[in-house]
Amino acid sequence: MNHNSIYEDLTIVLKRVKNTQILFKVLFVLLVVSFWKIQILEYQKYWKKSEANRMREIMLSPQRGLITDRNGVIIAKNIACFKASIIKENSQDLDVSYEKISYLLNLEEDVLRKRVERFQSVPLFYPIVVKDNLTQEEISRIEARQLEFPELMIEVEPKRFYPFNTFAAHIIGYLQEISQEDIKNNKYSEKGIGDLIGKTGIEKQYESILVGKKGKVLEIVDSSGRKKGELLREEPVKGKDIRLSLDFDLQKKAEDLLDGREGAIIVLNPKTGEILAMVSYPSFDPNKFINRFSPEEWQEIASSPDFPLENRVIRGLYSPGSIFKLAMALAALDLNEITEKTSFICNGSILIYGHPFSCWYKPGHGPVNLTSAIQHSCNIYFYLLGKNLGIENIAKYAKEFGFGTKTGIDLPEEKNGLVPDPRWKEEVKKANWFPGETISVSIGQGPLLVTPLQTADFTALIANRGKPVNPHLVIQEEKNEFKTPITREIQTKIDWSSKRKLFEKVIEGMWKSVNAGGTGRLALIDGYDICGKTGSTQIISTSTIKKLGDQIIEIKTHSWFAGFAPKDNPKVVVTVLVEYGGMGGQTAAPIARQLFTLFKEKYD
Amino acid sequence: MINRQLVRHIDWVLIGILLLNSIIGVAFIYSCSHYLPGNYYLKQIFWIFISLVALFLFLFFDYHFLADYSYLMYGLLISTLCGILVFGKLVAGTKSWIRFPFFQIQPSEITKVVVILVLARYFSKRQKELLSFTDLIISGVLFLLPVFLIALQPDLGTALSFLPIYLGALILGGINKKFILFLLIFSMLFGFVGWKYFLKDYQRTRLTTLVSPNKDPLGAGYHIIQSKIAIGSGGVKGKGYKKGTQSQLRFLPARHTDFIFSVIGEEFGFIGVIAVILAYALFVFRLFHSAFMSRDRVGIYIVFMVSMMITCQFFINVLMTIGFLPIAGIPLPLISYGGSSLLANYLAVSLVLNVKMRRFVNV
Repeated sequence: MNHNSIYEDLTIVLKRVKNTQILFKVLFVLLVVSFWKIQILEYQKYWKKSEANRMREIMLSPQRGLITDRNGVIIAKNIACFKASIIKENSQDLDVSYEKISYLLNLEEDVLRKRVERFQSVPLFYPIVVKDNLTQEEISRIEARQLEFPELMIEVEPKRFYPFNTFAAHIIGYLQEISQEDIKNNKYSEKGIGDLIGKTGIEKQYESILVGKKGKVLEIVDSSGRKKGELLREEPVKGKDIRLSLDFDLQKKAEDLLDGREGAIIVLNPKTGEILAMVSYPSFDPNKFINRFSPEEWQEIASSPDFPLENRVIRGLYSPGSIFKLAMALAALDLNEITEKTSFICNGSILIYGHPFSCWYKPGHGPVNLTSAIQHSCNIYFYLLGKNLGIENIAKYAKEFGFGTKTGIDLPEEKNGLVPDPRWKEEVKKANWFPGETISVSIGQGPLLVTPLQTADFTALIANRGKPVNPHLVIQEEKNEFKTPITREIQTKIDWSSKRKLFEKVIEGMWKSVNAGGTGRLALIDGYDICGKTGSTQIISTSTIKKLGDQIIEIKTHSWFAGFAPKDNPKVVVTVLVEYGGMGGQTAAPIARQLFTLFKEKYD
Repeated sequence: MINRQLVRHIDWVLIGILLLNSIIGVAFIYSCSHYLPGNYYLKQIFWIFISLVALFLFLFFDYHFLADYSYLMYGLLISTLCGILVFGKLVAGTKSWIRFPFFQIQPSEITKVVVILVLARYFSKRQKELLSFTDLIISGVLFLLPVFLIALQPDLGTALSFLPIYLGALILGGINKKFILFLLIFSMLFGFVGWKYFLKDYQRTRLTTLVSPNKDPLGAGYHIIQSKIAIGSGGVKGKGYKKGTQSQLRFLPARHTDFIFSVIGEEFGFIGVIAVILAYALFVFRLFHSAFMSRDRVGIYIVFMVSMMITCQFFINVLMTIGFLPIAGIPLPLISYGGSSLLANYLAVSLVLNVKMRRFVNV
């Protein structure tokens, strides 16, 4: 392009620009005149219209999807509930409104004021819920005086209701009012002020499926809040139902068995990973949380010293104790460190690395091989295995069996647990690994921490002779329909499928533990080949026990039982943990026995 | 490519007024969306920042260079527009967006800038007093091709907002009275065919509603009535910032985009409206005036088409809020929420600055 066009004659073009400019100047003046007409001359007319013809948008809450057990027993449903809201815009004088309404609704004026002031940032036309769960009497009292209170509005909403109160509370979770931060962060796209959302459990995990879709009504009202017409109505859409793999009877039985004792129980199907029962005690009543207005009660439960809100199954961290001996045995067999014939002598105590380590059975078990070591839970045998394997191998196999990582169950906020190794100690504790710690870890003590669910998951892996499963609560086919991906791809680094024999050897020991007078004998049911392993975990270290001397008898240990049945073709895994339950064989095993009994009656 | 002397000739006042109008926009976007999730005002501030950077970067290229390469850019954008028609995903009923991980952009908005360059390049070569018939046909095709592709998305609002650009080019090029007659007949024919076969039902109702909004006050005339009530009830002083809860307005689905002027009218009344119109008039007349400081024909064309585009969009949008024009889905440039249109307008203003700062031959 020739850029030297500076001498061309541009006067005609510039004249046209000038004319257009003049045209727009006129248009700007006309625009100002139009606004003058609308805003100044016709102001009265529009102001009246704006007063007489207000719009009101009412959200219609959808019904949340039901939650049922595997046989259709409804665990979470909805009931109708009335709530009262204040619309600030319709109030002549907010102070007077507070005073009168607090009297009408039997609320403290301060509480009411604070409640409304919490929602400073919302527009004046937005209804702010000030009381829910209205009684019939309150409703008629308000309706009778509706004309006096255009700022007060009553709406019906479906309210979540858990008919069995504390039943499966940790699994189901509870709802609470969405926080201002969650709204600001746009975490829940469809949710607004005053809406309730799932805060834990299934209610949180499957929020997007359960929630449904809001509807709304657009109404024309006059300045005193009387409805004059309806512009638009969109019906809400009910959320999808969720069927859990839980079995109501097993869950109920497990809850009854644990009642009064802090601990956790898991019953699951080792073939599919479906959870049949999952109990954490102490529990809470989720109905108490579905309430916008009693933070005190919530605070009380949340800050209680025995942590009733915590789901111990996925968030409680415990030493696995003797249960871990199963992992040790499998590791040693796989590394050809031992065969089933290898035996050691147990004298009740042994000196390793210059420190004495003792067996729980003071007189000593005498010569023990793999089967009898598991059957009687001999410590000495596993101390020696641990010494031979070394911590790196132990950690490698523990991780292989799923310890130290989440199982990926469909519940929020699962914990990882901890598989310690020298690198961990260096990074976190800034200290060197002591050989003595390896010895502690080899009987499931020391810094090793697992969740009860990881233990159940591990038991299922043994029952399956090496095939891992994904524990889950929502039945898989239905979960696929929701298009939620499985949270964890199960993978073991080692291919166990060709090593079924290793498992058979360990399972033999577990069978004898229950059926041949071993530590698990109290779980015995005639004619049902139960295999199991007990565990009792010291809550304080051995050195402290020594200092305490004779008082040791007073200190109780956590009590574990992990088992499955039948021995061949296993159908059920039961894992029990009782905090401060004493020896695993005495407390946890009988609980497991009752659950096996019920399972056998119902499913076999 | 750029030196200190050029920087000295940048019209900083124009940039100042540009920012002033953008900030007015942010203030009102906040007012009518702060209680909604989405943080629209923050996103708008982010886009102002991005657009400002783009504006300065764009200044590096001499507008002659840009005009010379405009056909290439034109070709690229036409392929992009075809591409999203074929591969694009429907967002809110139209295929006008390209999605990126953190944002999405409407290439149709950016197309405006390129169409301006192409038309300026084409018309600056026609130096007779009036345009010939061939000129009209060729430029018409150049112009209608992208408009047609955008109308297919379907995004009639954006397609419509291209018209003032071409109108500007025709005004400068000069058209014979016979052509005007031809155009009138053509557009009437086009309008008839469009009404009959192309417009969707809702678009037809919008047009009929314009004539008599009270015929169906709860239906199609609803937005116009509500917008007028909001503005009218604002009175002289308005209801105050963030207090324009004349509840109706919250039922306007596009109150932070297409109906933002109604919010201004309601919350700040006649005084506020005058102030915003004044700030806007300052802006657009400074744009128009830049034509007189252009060095050559292509510069004048660029400046004039940019000015026409922004000014006409302003009028169409504001007249829509008081019911003088149908609801066309055209945002208020600089003030309405929307990143792509903001970026396009900033780039357009950048072209004007470009022409202005290179007005002296020997730099």
